[in-house]
Amino acid sequence: MVDNQEKALKFYTGILGFVKKTEVPLGEHKWLTVVSKEEQDGVQLLLEPMGFEPARVFQKALFEAGIPFTAFNVDDVDKEYERLLKAGVVFSMKPTQMGPTKLTVFNDTCGNNIQLVQVL
Amino acid sequence: MTYYHDQVLKISRRIYAKDDLTRQIIRAKHFIDKNYADKINLHQVASEACISKFHFIRLFKLYYGITPNQYLGSVRIQRAKEYLADNLAVADVCFAVGFDSIPYFTTLFKKMTGTTPALFQKKARAKKAIYRKNLLG
Repeated sequence: MVDNQEKALKFYTGILGFVKKTEVPLGEHKWLTVVSKEEQDGVQLLLEPMGFEPARVFQKALFEAGIPFTAFNVDDVDKEYERLLKAGVVFSMKPTQMGPTKLTVFNDTCGNNIQLVQVL
Repeated sequence: MTYYHDQVLKISRRIYAKDDLTRQIIRAKHFIDKNYADKINLHQVASEACISKFHFIRLFKLYYGITPNQYLGSVRIQRAKEYLADNLAVADVCFAVGFDSIPYFTTLFKKMTGTTPALFQKKARAKKAIYRKNLLG
């Protein structure tokens, strides 16, 4: 869920590296999805507009606790961390190993924490 | 520190307290990643981790949620999908990724992907043809 679809599209494509898949106007908002550059036929990520008050409460509570709304798998968490840091992305958790995984969490600027995961 | 970060550290200390063990299990997984195409067996993988075979199977499952054999199968099938998409013959793919039986390869492939290697390849070819057509306009 994102508080601004235009801003979210810029962040998810321009900074993170996703590719826009569908953009269908639906009145005030749109059906807006992005996909991984490496798997453009794969799972789509819906940049869903925030339009339901109880959801806003839920999202805010998650954000404040630093809990990721969702997570993406990457090949190298440290590399992505450095790349995104240089691009001005703000992290709430630096790369941290948890057993056989390495995790990091950042702010997507649209109301969510996003986690990157590397299986070691 | 956020609540989430604190929880991650707590879980890490509680479940993965032994750093040496974590390193050994990860090393064994990397051994599979590197040698999946060879005829590797559980004894070799467990000895890479310096752990007895049965203890190793239990620990690997605790760390990755699947047994080492299941993981080896998944790595081989993933690589097989890439070879099939590159148009290699099904039998050649089967042996190239480390299986020694075509029926076993086909059965496992179907179980893990929902389709047979031949059908997967047919679909991959069709997808490529559409992609080429779109590219040429």
